[in-house]
Amino acid sequence: MKPKVAFFDFTSCEGCQLNKLNLENDLLDILKHVEIVEFREAMDDKADAYDIAFIEGSISSPSCVERIHDIRRRSKILVALGSCAVNGGVNAMKNLQPIDEVRETVYGEDKYLFATLPAMSVSSIVKVDYEVRGCPMTQQDFLKLLVSLVLGKQAPRYDSPVCVECKLSENECLYNRGMVCLGPITRGGCDAICPSFGQFCTGCRGLLDEPNYIGMLEVMTNHGISLDEAKKRMLLFNSNEVQL
Amino acid sequence: MECYSLKQSDVPALIDHLGAYGEVIAPHRKGDVSYSFEPVKDSEKVVLEYNRTLLPLKKCFLPPTEKLMDFSLKDMSYKPTEVPIKPAVYFGIHSYEMQSILRLDHSMLSGKAESNYFNRRKKSRFIGVSFSPDEYHFSESVGISIEEMEGFDLYLNKVSDDYQLYIISDKGKDLLKGFDKLIQAEPIHVEGREFNKKIRYHYNRLPRVFQYAYHSKVWAEVAERCVGCGSCNLTCPTCFCFDVNDQVEVTAEDGMRRRSWDSCMLSTFAEVAGGENFREHTLNRTRHRLYRKFKYITDEEGLPWCVGCGRCTAFCPADISMVDIINDLIREDEKAQFHKTVRV
Ligand code: SF4
Ligand code: SF4
Ligand code: SF4
Ligand code: SF4
Repeated sequence: MKPKVAFFDFTSCEGCQLNKLNLENDLLDILKHVEIVEFREAMDDKADAYDIAFIEGSISSPSCVERIHDIRRRSKILVALGSCAVNGGVNAMKNLQPIDEVRETVYGEDKYLFATLPAMSVSSIVKVDYEVRGCPMTQQDFLKLLVSLVLGKQAPRYDSPVCVECKLSENECLYNRGMVCLGPITRGGCDAICPSFGQFCTGCRGLLDEPNYIGMLEVMTNHGISLDEAKKRMLLFNSNEVQL
Repeated sequence: MECYSLKQSDVPALIDHLGAYGEVIAPHRKGDVSYSFEPVKDSEKVVLEYNRTLLPLKKCFLPPTEKLMDFSLKDMSYKPTEVPIKPAVYFGIHSYEMQSILRLDHSMLSGKAESNYFNRRKKSRFIGVSFSPDEYHFSESVGISIEEMEGFDLYLNKVSDDYQLYIISDKGKDLLKGFDKLIQAEPIHVEGREFNKKIRYHYNRLPRVFQYAYHSKVWAEVAERCVGCGSCNLTCPTCFCFDVNDQVEVTAEDGMRRRSWDSCMLSTFAEVAGGENFREHTLNRTRHRLYRKFKYITDEEGLPWCVGCGRCTAFCPADISMVDIINDLIREDEKAQFHKTVRV
């Protein structure tokens, strides 16, 4: 029997889900292997239990917490899709400010009508089996994971910095061009796509395990930006991860 | 050794002439301030005065990423990639780069030869060129002079505005057949090309320094600044470690096996099944990187396994300098010696 697959979205821009819908070329191949039973962006059907649940978005309200527990209970495998789900992503910047101010800015006078929590990763609430990183996640990464799950193989894991793929492509390092880049401490797997096009890495795939924060801040400030700016750059996608 | 003079303006004609033997690969400009080895399309675009390329010449023999085989899960069959044996000329190569290829030959060809590397290497010809050391080159400190000609078939020495061409091997002589822009000349010794960066000891003394440096404080100081990006290994011409992985198509039927350069500075390099990591900290990894260059292989082969190209330093975002680390180790060693003597 084909595995039953479902997709759910939480606090996010839904860009990751849309990225999946753009998989036209491979969609028919995928459907040979799995049966999609829930996907708000594309269909209305619902099912009771799932073999693989894909979760997009971060957990940021009490109702999110309830819903993710429910999904976890009904799913054999649970996968976090994209930065927001993996580590809170850009949403987690809200955690850096007093929660009351945040609520007031967003909801104004009605702030008490909307319960809110700090933006959290899915894994801080329930067990996450696999993750697909990136903002947005890439189609290739999503497909690679899906194929390994279908084949029952070990899922691909990216734990080398962006610099590795950048060097293998023989890019001129942005540090040699007077820019400041987060590649050294950011998890790769994206083929160093930003530096390859002359844009510095902003850390969208999250940080490596145990990165050298102080060393990185020193590199950044030695290359011409202020300590404040360097910290802000580090926090952009990784407010929940950076410990400064 | 036969020596000829060659006008700077005739260099493109020489490159075109060499094209008759096979594809010519030479240094080109890349990006704002960098260089890379590329196949020559227009001989006028070749740059003979350059400091160093981003990736070493190694990339032509051991590519950064390479497909090793295609396989099929349907019938469990596989087809290894065939690497054709093609003639090629590597033009405008610095002496330390040539020395790195000779060291790589040793790593890849001794014992059972690595066939992909062997095939790419088989019909290669090398044309050297002199260079002016910048603030990072230190090859002289590891025994490689600017004019070291071992391994080359021809060598171009820059003399004021033009070149002197030396014929080093019979293969080199063959390459020049029919090229008529050379005039016989007396070899001129070029003065004033000094290295700015130097290791304080002769390289013969380094294995001893390293023998006592294992518990040095220097490693922790370096580890504090290192951000673990792996650039030092990934641009090093004598590093040869690679990682192998399989990729299966969406059809879940066909796939391929690839290998890519790896780096012992990456935290996962020495991670093994069960999550154990036998070089867990940056300190262990930095130390290992230098021991690989100046102790482990050197003890076996009698040569430093670093050729002094300066890439690991020039391309390190944290400005960690190979030479500075070694000189720090030397200083610490001298201090320890001094204390020993005083105590006696
Ligand atoms: S450009 Fe960025 S990712 Fe690329 S090598 Fe430099 S620091 Fe690393
Ligand atoms: S280079 Fe950095 S910002 Fe760009 S996709 Fe990769 S991880 Fe994200
Ligand atoms: S290039 Fe520099 S910062 Fe990067 S791993 Fe090597 S020593 Fe560390
Ligand atoms: S260790 Fe550094 S200087 Fe030595 S060969 Fe490698 S990159 Fe060049």
